[in-house]
Amino acid sequence: MLKRAAATFLPLLLALAFLPAAGDAQAPIKIGVIEPLSGPVAASGNYVRMGAEIARDWINARGGINGRKIDLLIEDNKSDPKEAASAAEKLIVRDKVPAIMGAWGSSMTLAAMPKLEEYGVPMVVETSSAASVTKRGNPWVFRISPPSEMEALGLEQYVDKLGVKKADFLAVNTDWGRGSITAFGDMLKKKGVQVGAAEFMEQSATDMNAQLTKIKAAGGDTLFLTTAVEQITLVLKQGQEQRLQRKVITTGGSSSPTQLIKQAGPAAEGSYHIVFFMPWFPEAMPDGKLAKAFVDEWNKRGHPFEGLTEGFRGHDGIATIAEAVKIAGKDEPAAIRDALWKVSFTGVNGPIKFDKDGPAGKESGQSKPSIFIVQVRDGKVALPDFLKK
Amino acid sequence: MEQLLQHLVNGLVLGGTYALLGIGLTLIFGLMNVVNFAHGEFYTLGAYAAFGALALAGLPFFVALAAAIATGALLGALCERVLLRPLRRESIDTVMLVMIGVWIAMQNAELLVWGGVARSIPHPFPTAPLTLGPLNIAPLRLFVMAAAAGLIGAAWLLIQRTRLGTAMRATFQDRDTAALMGVPIGRIHTITFAFGSALAAAAGALLGPVFLAYPSMGDLASLKAFSVVILGGLGNLAGATLGGLLLGVAEELGAGYVSSGYRDAVGFVAIILVLIFRPAGLFARAERIG
Amino acid sequence: MIVRALLAAAALALVTAPAWLPSPYHLHILIMAGIFAILALSLNLLLGYTGQLSLGHAAFFGIGAYTSALLALKLEWSFWLALPCAAVASGIAGWAIGRLALKLRGAYFVLVTISFAGVISLVSINWMELTNGPLGLPGVPPPDFGPWSLRTKRAYYYLVLAAAAFTYLVCHRLVHSRIGRALVALRENEPLAESVGIDGTRYLVLAAVVSAALAGVAGSLYAHYTRFVSPEVFLFTYTVTMVIMVIAGGQGTLLGPVIGALLFTALPEALREAVAWQWQMLAYGVVLVVLVFFLPRGIVPSFERWQRRRAASLR
Repeated sequence: MLKRAAATFLPLLLALAFLPAAGDAQAPIKIGVIEPLSGPVAASGNYVRMGAEIARDWINARGGINGRKIDLLIEDNKSDPKEAASAAEKLIVRDKVPAIMGAWGSSMTLAAMPKLEEYGVPMVVETSSAASVTKRGNPWVFRISPPSEMEALGLEQYVDKLGVKKADFLAVNTDWGRGSITAFGDMLKKKGVQVGAAEFMEQSATDMNAQLTKIKAAGGDTLFLTTAVEQITLVLKQGQEQRLQRKVITTGGSSSPTQLIKQAGPAAEGSYHIVFFMPWFPEAMPDGKLAKAFVDEWNKRGHPFEGLTEGFRGHDGIATIAEAVKIAGKDEPAAIRDALWKVSFTGVNGPIKFDKDGPAGKESGQSKPSIFIVQVRDGKVALPDFLKK
Repeated sequence: MEQLLQHLVNGLVLGGTYALLGIGLTLIFGLMNVVNFAHGEFYTLGAYAAFGALALAGLPFFVALAAAIATGALLGALCERVLLRPLRRESIDTVMLVMIGVWIAMQNAELLVWGGVARSIPHPFPTAPLTLGPLNIAPLRLFVMAAAAGLIGAAWLLIQRTRLGTAMRATFQDRDTAALMGVPIGRIHTITFAFGSALAAAAGALLGPVFLAYPSMGDLASLKAFSVVILGGLGNLAGATLGGLLLGVAEELGAGYVSSGYRDAVGFVAIILVLIFRPAGLFARAERIG
Repeated sequence: MIVRALLAAAALALVTAPAWLPSPYHLHILIMAGIFAILALSLNLLLGYTGQLSLGHAAFFGIGAYTSALLALKLEWSFWLALPCAAVASGIAGWAIGRLALKLRGAYFVLVTISFAGVISLVSINWMELTNGPLGLPGVPPPDFGPWSLRTKRAYYYLVLAAAAFTYLVCHRLVHSRIGRALVALRENEPLAESVGIDGTRYLVLAAVVSAALAGVAGSLYAHYTRFVSPEVFLFTYTVTMVIMVIAGGQGTLLGPVIGALLFTALPEALREAVAWQWQMLAYGVVLVVLVFFLPRGIVPSFERWQRRRAASLR
C-alpha cells in the first residue's frame, strides 16, 4: 500500500517540474538574483542577498521605479557553476526577468554568462574578481566589483608607506586567490619589492601549518593573504602559534575585520585589510550619508555587523539595475543594457559608472570602485596612521 | 631541520584528530557494514553542540564537551532505530543511499539553524603557544591530543575488556550464533552506531575550538575518516589510530616539502598505494575486531 | 503489454519534446537529464552489473569534459573529433582504474575510485598550464554540423537524445551478450564464476573501460553545452547525484538509471519552483530518504515486483 502511494507520488513530482510558471503580474519589475545560498560560502551569498533586500525595500518605499515596485527573484547557485547556469536559465526563461545580479564566485559567473548572450539579458556582477569576466567579449556583462588588477593598483600608492620590502603570498586555491597573487605580485615587482614564497590552501582546508612553516622560513617582512574570513582567522591563529611575526595584509575585501577580531582576537592585532566598504566609519565613504543610512538599516534588521563588508555589494548591484531601468523607462532587457552604459550615480561603495573593457565591438562594462585600507589596532578597526590627516 | 621537526609535530596533532574520526567510522563501517556518509555530519553536530552549550548556555568547558558527546550518541541511536534497523535486510547500497540522504538533510538543517557564518567556539586555554626549542605548539592542541588519546584508550577498553565489547565483537563475527547465545542483536547494533557517532561528535567538539564551526565542515572529515579506516583495516581500532597519525604526518610533510596545493593528494596517493600493495590495511597483522 | 505501450508513448514524447514543451527552460532540464542519463547508465554498468561501486565516476566525466574542451579550444578540433577523443581519454583512465584495482573488491575498490578522483581533481586545480586551474576554460565552442551550427537548444537536444539512445543500445547489447552474462555471474558469485573459467579481472577491466568511455562522452556533451569547464566538474556532489540516480532508479536494470536521471534532474528544479531557497536542499535530502525507505530496491525493480505480484494474484 505504501509502495502504491509512492508510485503515485513520483509522477506528481515529475509533473511539478513541468508546471507552467505562475501568472505574470504586469506591475512589479522583476530582478533576478543568483547567489551561493548553501554550500561552503553560504554566509557571503546571504550577506549579498540581505544587502539586495535593503535596496529593494528602500526603492519601493520611495515609490518604486517610474511608479512600479521592484520584486527580487532569488535563486541559489549552490556554489556550483552548473546550478548557476540552470538558475540563470530559469530566471530568464520562466520568470522572464529583464536583468540579473550575480553570481558571486567567478566560476559561477562565467558559467552563467553564455546564457546572457543566448537570450540577450544583462547581468550586473557584484563580487567576482577574475579578469576574464569582463575580457570575454560579452556585451551583456557589467561589473561593479574590482578585478584583482584594479585592487593591486589601489594599493600601489601605499606600498612605500607600509614599508613592504620583501613579500610572501598565501592564497586560497581558486581563481580569486590565484588572480590576486598574479596581480599583486606584478604590482610589487614593478615597485622593486622582492617577492618570496607563494603558497596555496584548498578552499575547505583548516590546517595551514605546513604553509606557514614554509613562509616563516622564506623570511619576508610582509604576508599578503587572500581568502575568506574563516580561513584568515585560522591562518592568523596558526601564525600566532608558530610565532610568525610579520606584517599581514589581506586582499579581496572578504576579510570582514570585525568578525576577524571576534574570532582571532589578539592574533588579528596589527593586520591591514583592503576593503571596499568601511562600516566602522561610514562618514568617510564617498557618500557618507548613504553609507551611514545603510549601516543603520542593516543593524536595525538584526543582521550580523560583520556581514556589512559584503552586504553592500547586494545593495549597489540592485541600485545599479534600478537606475538603469529608470533611465531606460521600461523593463526590457536590451533597453536596460543600453541604459547601463548611461548610469552614473553614487552607491554605498562610491561612484558607479561603466567604462568599456574587453575586445572592441563586444565590450563589457567595468566600473572603478573605491578601494580602502584599514588596520586592526587595540582590538578595533581604525584607519592606518599614514592615512590619518 | 627545525622545519622538519615543526612539520612532524603539526602532523602528529593533526593525525590524532584524524584517528579519532577514524575509530568511530571503523566501528560503523567495519563492523556494521554501513557506508556512513553522514559520519562527518555527526562531527559537525558535535562542534555545534559544543558551541551551543558554551556560547549560548554558558556551561563550563568540560561539561559542554560531555554534552556534545551525549548529543552525538543520542542522535546516532535514533538514526539507527528509525532508519537503519528497518533496512537491515536491504543491500549495502540501499543503506548507503539512505545515509547520503541523511548527510544532505543534516547539513542543510544545520545551515538553516545556525546560518552559514562560521562560529568561533570559546575555550579556557591560554592562546600563547608553548615553546620547546624551535618548536611551537598551542596548549589547546596539546589538550586535544591528550583528550583524543584518552577517548581512543576508552574505546579500546570498552571493546576489548567489557562484556558489552565482547557482545559487540560476537555480533559482528557471527550474528546467528551470538543471537543463540542470548545477545540482544538489535540493541547491540544501536549501541555500536551510537558509540561510533559519539566518537565523531567528540572529534567535532574537540576540534571546533581549534578551528571554527561551520555547516560544511563535515565533508572533508568524512573523507579523511574513510581514508583512515581503509589504511588501518576495516574494524581495526589500533590500525585506525596508527593510520590516522600516519595520514596526518604524511599530509604535513607532503604540504611542506612537495607542494601545498597538492596536500590532499598525498593522502589519496597513499591510499591507492596501500590498497594496491596491502589491501587488508597497513596493520593487517594486528588483531581485528570483526 | 501496458508497459510496452507506456514506453512507446514515452519514447514518442521524448522525440517530439521541443514541440510540446512549454519553454526552452524545460528543454534545458531534459538536456541535462539526458547527459546524466548517459552518466547513470555508465555507472550502472559497473555498479549494477559487476556489483562494484565506483565513487570516482565524476573523474571520468571531468576527464571527458576537459579533453573535449581543450582539444576544441587549443587545437581547434571539430566537436566530432573531440568527442571520440574524450571517450578514449576517459576509457584509458577507466582501464587504469581497472588494472589498479586488480584484486580489490567492495569497500577497497570504492576507496581507490574516490582517491583516484581526488588526485585528478587536484591536478585539474593545480596544473595551471594545462587546465588553467580554477580560472576554468570559458568559451568552449558549440558543435558544427556542416554549415549549420548546433548552437540552438533544439539541435543540441537531439544530439543529446541520440547520444543517450546510443548509450542505451550499447549497454543493452553488452548486458545481453556473453560478456553481460559473465558480469552477472561474477556479481552473483565470483569464486563460482571463476571456477568455470570466467576471468574476473578481465571482465571488470572491460566494464570499467566501457563505463568510463561513456562517462567521457557525457563529459564532452556537457562541456560543449555549458561552454565552460572548471574543476567543479570533479565535485563529489556530481558522483553522489549519479549514484542516487542509479540506485534509486534501480541498479542492474537498464531503464532504472534513465528514470533515475529524469527524476533527480527534475527534482531540484521542481524544488526551485515549489519551495523557498532556504528549504530546497533540506527537502531534497528528505525526499531521498523517504524514497529509498519505501522503494529500497529502486523504482524500476519495485515496479516490476508489483507487476509480478499483481499478475500472480490475478491468476
